[in-house]
Amino acid sequence: MANLTGLRARGDHNGDRENDGDRGGNGGAHGRGGGAVGGGLPGAVAAEWTKLWSLRSTWWALFAAFGVMGLMSAILATSTASNNTNAITTDDQGVVQVSGIAVGATDLVQFVLIALAILMITGEYATGSIRTTLQWVPLRDRMLAAKAAVTAAVMLPAGVALGVLGTAVAEPLLGRWGRLSAGDAVADVLAVGVYLALTCVFILGVGTVLRSTAGALTTAFLLLMAVPMLLVNSSVKALGYVADALPSTAGRHFMAGEGGPYPPAVGLLILAAWAVASLALGTVVLRRRDA
Amino acid sequence: MITLRGLTKRYGDKAAVSDLSLEIAPGKVTGFLGPNGAGKSTTMRMILGLDRPTAGEALIGGRPYAALPRPLTEVGALLDAKAVHPGRSARAHLTAMARSNGIPVRRVDEVLETVGLTAVAGRRAGSFSLGMGQRLGIAGALLGDPRVLMFDEPVNGLDPDGVLWVRRLMRSLAAEGRTVFVSSHLMSEMQLTADQLVVIGKGRLLADAPVTEVIAASSRNAVRIRTPRPGELAARLAAEPMPLQVTRSDAGELAGDGERADERAGELIVTGAPIERIGMICHEIGVPLYELSPQEASLEEAYMELTGTSVEYGAGAPQKAGV
Ligand SMILES: Nc1ncnc2c1ncn2[C@@H]1O[C@H](COP(=O)(O)OP(=O)(O)OP(=O)(O)O)[C@@H](O)[C@H]1O
Ligand SMILES: [Mg+2]
Repeated sequence: MANLTGLRARGDHNGDRENDGDRGGNGGAHGRGGGAVGGGLPGAVAAEWTKLWSLRSTWWALFAAFGVMGLMSAILATSTASNNTNAITTDDQGVVQVSGIAVGATDLVQFVLIALAILMITGEYATGSIRTTLQWVPLRDRMLAAKAAVTAAVMLPAGVALGVLGTAVAEPLLGRWGRLSAGDAVADVLAVGVYLALTCVFILGVGTVLRSTAGALTTAFLLLMAVPMLLVNSSVKALGYVADALPSTAGRHFMAGEGGPYPPAVGLLILAAWAVASLALGTVVLRRRDA
Repeated sequence: MITLRGLTKRYGDKAAVSDLSLEIAPGKVTGFLGPNGAGKSTTMRMILGLDRPTAGEALIGGRPYAALPRPLTEVGALLDAKAVHPGRSARAHLTAMARSNGIPVRRVDEVLETVGLTAVAGRRAGSFSLGMGQRLGIAGALLGDPRVLMFDEPVNGLDPDGVLWVRRLMRSLAAEGRTVFVSSHLMSEMQLTADQLVVIGKGRLLADAPVTEVIAASSRNAVRIRTPRPGELAARLAAEPMPLQVTRSDAGELAGDGERADERAGELIVTGAPIERIGMICHEIGVPLYELSPQEASLEEAYMELTGTSVEYGAGAPQKAGV
């Protein structure tokens, strides 16, 4: 008896246990009240949040994202400035929106955050901890919704902060070739946050369906980078329309503002639709599949 | 209370679990036995809603696991100690677990203390030994103070101290009126820990009975007799209209040696006859007895007999070493 310290510690719990008596019998009532006393979607979100920040890889990924953003913005800004001042006149870009540099750098920076979003689900399949997660939160839609909520909640502010960093790095390097208006800068920086949040949620769904880190990363690269590039450069016009409907292209039109084939809001809608669709598919697959 | 109704799982055309129907009652430790690949882990995964049954259902207190609003407060389970993200500390793992089900976070330190991992709570789970991983898994199972506990081979990798601790833990959980369902391959351990046994083989139910009954049903239960006149008694027993078996375990010892042979006891092992009947026979024919004692089969023997034809992945005959 003496060495069962834990059970002594459990004494107070056993106390209330006796009071709530036959749990199986009044299960229905308990079930309805269940969400209010803890657990539920808020619990699932809290658990995912705790899980995300307790992994070193999360901190590394964010650190890397900021590093890549700083570097990319510096490169883009200096090349813009040198293009405008070199002897070749065909590559001149003139005076550019400073925050537009951050938007441009997002094309590359996104992959670091995408890797983080993918690992949130494929990392669990790789380590077998998906079974633990589903033991805590057995409802598949709730589990995935919690991951999506945490992904968005991390990526949106991270994206905004990245946008600010990119803009701050680009401003002095662009010098007289940069144009900085508060309104446009805020819009651009917010757009980067929204774009990264939606793209990462989209890719989370892809990771859920594919389960493998390598598979999901490859898919992300093909779908967000390679395929749109091939389609846009093809001579067939219809393929260009297809490219415009892909998530990354839609996202770019959204971030670029007016001047695209459709208004930025439509780009946002298309990207959001991809995110919702991939989450829906992920949920369906999760429900059907054994963990 | 865990209820299985016609629980069936097929992987392709292989039936891992076939039509399993039983109830696992509270207040007892129910041992879950069966050869490798019998379907124990699969059954447990279905109880937790991880694998979807091909047919039938598994209920906890009348409801499927997924319908429990805060499942960890009703069912605690350790299925695979390695199913913890290796990059997360034990404390972070349990904290996330507690938050997911609205369990007070102070429970984390309580269960860490219970399983003896307080000192390494901040270390990455990936650096844990097998036994430490098992302890972390047990801590997780206890976290929500659940009425139903399920452990898949919990003593796997534990040191003797840990094995004893787990045995006492199971016993005291059951004594508190909880349902304790535990699989193991260690028969001697199960004999000491379990009250009730569920034995499956090739996915089918072979036995669902109290440990004492499973052992009593074994044909290895025997009666040991020491008598100076074993030959006479053996002959008389052979004439009994019962399918009993008599073995002389002292072969040759009685031969020769004149009078003194009478005092030297011969030993018989009789299976298939109740000890009372044997006693009566000895009395009828006037054979003196030095000893008449029941030889209870071990759970291991009873288990071997039960599962003899259901072993799927049996080892071949051992190869002769070093030619
Ligand atoms: N995901 C799966 N896909 C295909 N077959 C599976 C799967 N999981 C289990 N099986 C098969 O189902 C059968 C039962 O496996 P299970 O792991 O439940 O056995 P067990 O009784 O736990 O065995 P052990 O004592 O070795 O742990 C085995 O034949 C196994 O190969
Ligand atoms: Mg198993």
